[in-house]
Amino acid sequence: MNRPILLLLAAVLVLPIVVRPAIATEIWIFAIFGLGLNLLLGYTGLLSFGQSTFFGSAAYVAGFLLKQYGINAFLALGIGVGVGAASAALVGYLCVQRSGLYFIMLTFALNQLFYFIAYQWTSVTGGEDGMPGVPRPALAGIDFTNPLVYYALVSVLFLASLWIMKRIVESPLGKILQAIRENPVRAEAVGYDVPRFKLLAFVIGGAFSGLAGVLYAMLFGIVPLEAIGFVFSGNVLFATLIGGSGSLYGPVIGSFVFIWLSESVSTLWARWPLLLGVAFVIVVLFLRGGVVEAWSRVGAKFGSWRSSKPKS
Amino acid sequence: MAILETQELTKAFGALTAVNGVSLGVEAGTLHSIIGPNGAGKTTLFNLLTGTFPPTSGRILLDGRDITGTPAHRVAHLGLARSYQRTSVFPAFSLLENVWVAAFATGRSWRGLAWRKTERYAEVTARARQALADVGLGGKADAPAREISHGEQRQLELAIALAAAPRVLLLDEPAAGLSPEETRKMVALVRSLKGRYTIVLIEHKMDIIMSVSDRISVMHFGSLIAEGTPAEIQKNPEVRRAYLGGVAA
Repeated sequence: MNRPILLLLAAVLVLPIVVRPAIATEIWIFAIFGLGLNLLLGYTGLLSFGQSTFFGSAAYVAGFLLKQYGINAFLALGIGVGVGAASAALVGYLCVQRSGLYFIMLTFALNQLFYFIAYQWTSVTGGEDGMPGVPRPALAGIDFTNPLVYYALVSVLFLASLWIMKRIVESPLGKILQAIRENPVRAEAVGYDVPRFKLLAFVIGGAFSGLAGVLYAMLFGIVPLEAIGFVFSGNVLFATLIGGSGSLYGPVIGSFVFIWLSESVSTLWARWPLLLGVAFVIVVLFLRGGVVEAWSRVGAKFGSWRSSKPKS
Repeated sequence: MAILETQELTKAFGALTAVNGVSLGVEAGTLHSIIGPNGAGKTTLFNLLTGTFPPTSGRILLDGRDITGTPAHRVAHLGLARSYQRTSVFPAFSLLENVWVAAFATGRSWRGLAWRKTERYAEVTARARQALADVGLGGKADAPAREISHGEQRQLELAIALAAAPRVLLLDEPAAGLSPEETRKMVALVRSLKGRYTIVLIEHKMDIIMSVSDRISVMHFGSLIAEGTPAEIQKNPEVRRAYLGGVAA
């Protein structure tokens, strides 16, 4: 096993001791959300400003079924993945032919559309008040209402998601998506149906977002209206960029930084988003590769310092 | 028999007819050059052949089969590969990755597309390495494409087209922007590909054209004005007037 995986396993074990289990759980949920976005942003070069469409839709649908029909937790997760993928297929279908600013604005506009449906449809979604009462049903005698048990479930699903994403980006599909990011015209000329592959990236990203959405609803027992709003779309984008969109682990680190800052520092200092803004400016101006790049730069410095030391 | 054929191919952009009733036949195994002054419609003709955009009228036949209107990504699978006049590679990729994606596209099967590791496609990797070796970049497989010289990027440009294992190779000014020394290398390279592929070549440098071509078609203001062997073209008075001007007289 390589180093990042070992570090992650250690982080999974230690995190609930360091911070409250609910925050630790939220970090990994947000990381799953970020993994889905990064397939679009980092690998395919598509800046989607509407990821909460898939997150929120899945949370509402699965949350509603959990609440009204008491469905099995795993079925709810499966439905969430399906709803995430389906809503992403719809949004992707409308967006993949556009590029640049038009693409970004269209993902945003469709996100707003979904937001207003949730806002208006109060009988189901609760509108501004959110949809409370989402249960965390026990499964095979395991009681997920215990925060640490639920944390364990989310951790396992996060590690599984990361593994699946790792396989995807190391497969030909990962290469093709990166080729589209690098040069869509040539990618088309060598034989790839570029809009189709972009759509596929959307659907996969949407599936990850959907999983995260359902886990989020079950964590807090409520689907807040913000879960489908542009602030959530922006948050996952922020987190991914701060962590580093150029690498597989970027969104994971970004999620850790983002959630930890927002949950821990916000209780000490009400103006905490200022910190986030500063971090974002630093990333955009000096560190396009985010925390991951900072880490590798420090590593390279340290490495060259070590190797330049005379051997005695 | 002609492997690639166009019948009365026309492309109009508004009032401008960039390609005007071009009927062209490329014999299998030959090197067929297309020459003409800037703006004669040569690159537009390539864009039509590779499905970048559909023609206004006329037909394109590959092996006698009508492929008019087939989108670019499908044309690649039919065995038509092109290189670009302005270098168009994947800058962040290594040279091997550049040709690997092209080789995979036209590979035998896409099984394991989203799951199998790229290293496990031995046959695709072998073809990719072969394409790099064919253009003389075999020793630089792991270098990033954005860090190699312009001359090497032109070679890579060609390797990406070769990696698709095409039957017809469309080369759009492979020697564009090269130094005399690099141009000599590129000409030798194109010559080495002759016979292995059917090649359609767009080029400006007359010495290259005359030395490597089997047949030459001359375009002027979107129309074909002459076709023949290099010797015939050199003697053709109309070509001299339109293209060579006073220079070769």
